[in-house]
Amino acid sequence: MATDHRPQDGWLHTSIGRLAQLKQAVSGDPKAIFGLGVVTVFLLAAILAPELAPHDPMAQEFGIMDPPRIVGIDAHPLGTDSYGRDLLSRIMFGARISLGVSLGAVSLGALVGVSLGLLAGYSGGWIDDLLMRFVDVTWAFPWLLVAIMLVAIFGQSVWNVVFAIAFAYIDDFARITRSEVLSIREEEYIAAAKNIGVSDRDIMLNEVLPNAVAPLIVQFTVLVARAMLAESTLSFLGVGVKPTTPTWGALLGQGRGLIEQAWWISIIPGILIVITVLGINLFGDSLRDAFDVQQGESV
Amino acid sequence: MGVAEYTIKRTIQAVAVVYVVATVVFIAIRSVPGDPARLILGGDADADAIAAMRRELGLDQPMYVQYFRWMSDLLRGDLGESIYTGEPVIGRIVGAAEPSVSIAVVGICIAMAVAIPAGILSATRQNGWEDYVATLVSFLSISMPAFWIGIVLILVVATRVDAIPSYGYTPISEGIRPWLLNILLPSLAVGLPYAGIISRMTRSSMLDVLSQDYMQTARAKGIPPRAALLKHGLQNALMPVVTVAGILFALLLGGIVAVEIVFGIQGFGRLLIRSIERQDFPIVQGSVIIVSIIFVFMNLVVDLLYMSINPKVRYGGES
Repeated sequence: MATDHRPQDGWLHTSIGRLAQLKQAVSGDPKAIFGLGVVTVFLLAAILAPELAPHDPMAQEFGIMDPPRIVGIDAHPLGTDSYGRDLLSRIMFGARISLGVSLGAVSLGALVGVSLGLLAGYSGGWIDDLLMRFVDVTWAFPWLLVAIMLVAIFGQSVWNVVFAIAFAYIDDFARITRSEVLSIREEEYIAAAKNIGVSDRDIMLNEVLPNAVAPLIVQFTVLVARAMLAESTLSFLGVGVKPTTPTWGALLGQGRGLIEQAWWISIIPGILIVITVLGINLFGDSLRDAFDVQQGESV
Repeated sequence: MGVAEYTIKRTIQAVAVVYVVATVVFIAIRSVPGDPARLILGGDADADAIAAMRRELGLDQPMYVQYFRWMSDLLRGDLGESIYTGEPVIGRIVGAAEPSVSIAVVGICIAMAVAIPAGILSATRQNGWEDYVATLVSFLSISMPAFWIGIVLILVVATRVDAIPSYGYTPISEGIRPWLLNILLPSLAVGLPYAGIISRMTRSSMLDVLSQDYMQTARAKGIPPRAALLKHGLQNALMPVVTVAGILFALLLGGIVAVEIVFGIQGFGRLLIRSIERQDFPIVQGSVIIVSIIFVFMNLVVDLLYMSINPKVRYGGES
């Protein structure tokens, strides 16, 4: 019998159950609909930027600081910047980096954090102690300063931003996973799986993890929102990507000194950041309601 | 585990965390490409001068000797000197801290003053229009980068109201009024996202308390709702809010640094960004260590406070 056990079934079953819950949450709640809609639109705009963008984002061939104008031959719906570049095109290409960095960073943080939390919670004892102290150390490093040190060591690049933000979120994922594991570990079906000889690794991945998925999804969503803000702050400070890269935060930063001559350069990217982050936050909140999750309350 | 034992265990852990952070910083700084001696002397210095400077800085010593020297300096509170000005790092950081701390404290005060009543209103009128408005505003405010709020405030307020400057900082020693006017907008920018978080927390904590048995009992005993709310509800609801408010203090850092840049304030953020640009590493590493010490011990104090207020929380708890 033991060899017949297919842990994947359990995993699949639980996951499908979770997805059904998810769909239910999304279909009724205006918060979720708004959030998903916003994220979908911006993701599409980012992915399709090379097709949809009206101009080359780097071309400096238009009037300098032209205000937004929708009709006419020199139409720039969101205006141009101080080098005569089309702002709409820059924003669309910038969305690729801003969204990509946020999703990438939180995914990386989740991968490391969930692994650590699983291992710590499932093993217990000194392994637990050791791993969680490591998590404490990652938590004690201020993310902004991690980013700064990475830039000092490796120079400016998108990866520094991804690593710095990912590093900051390891502890969130590790702690949530661990506390979920601690409560699941004592369940009867885990003992049953152990009795029939399922390996620890399979139990962790196929039995424990799927049951901890709800709070992790909520946390993931909330942190993607926070990562977008962090990315924009780093780009604004010039600590993140190269200054020529058009991320939303960097675009905003370039317009700061020109606020009285050309408000649109800093105000429009800012509004887009706010709408995106708001959408993700509302979606996360709706998921939290649906899953009835307490964690991740502090946005 | 008793209170004393728990306190000692947590303190030792906190010290260990800071020690590891400091060690990582030591290693990281030495992985930065470039020679500090060359940085100090400039690109066209000759080899002898650079060798002499390396000796003076102790960089010719083996790594473990440098490490022990650095650690023993650190234990005495000596974080080294700025490469450029030669001033002690600790003095530079403390000197730059006043504007930053002012912005943080005033920002948190504004946030609490707005957010706690908003959260209570939101909870007591759950699903009423007050709740929806407060929820929407809270979500909006947590979705805005603090530095962008600063830019909008400059555009909307400072360009219209002459009394409120959009630039610089006046020390508190030169009078409360100019000090407050100068940091009003930066504090608002930092405080607004913070207010969003606090009001959401107050709301959920208050909803939790309102559904508790003792609130039902108070109502059944005929205590007027307002009195019951103030006497029993608020006290219990605000406890988790205050402790989380303490932790979030540390999270304000990123916001403050960027907001200082927006308002041209010579605070900790400016110092940090400038030190990176000039590769003044003693200041950068000193900042990392000081900020993590504040971070770790703030969390420790908040934890211990929480435990002493609420004995139900298990010592050495699982979270």
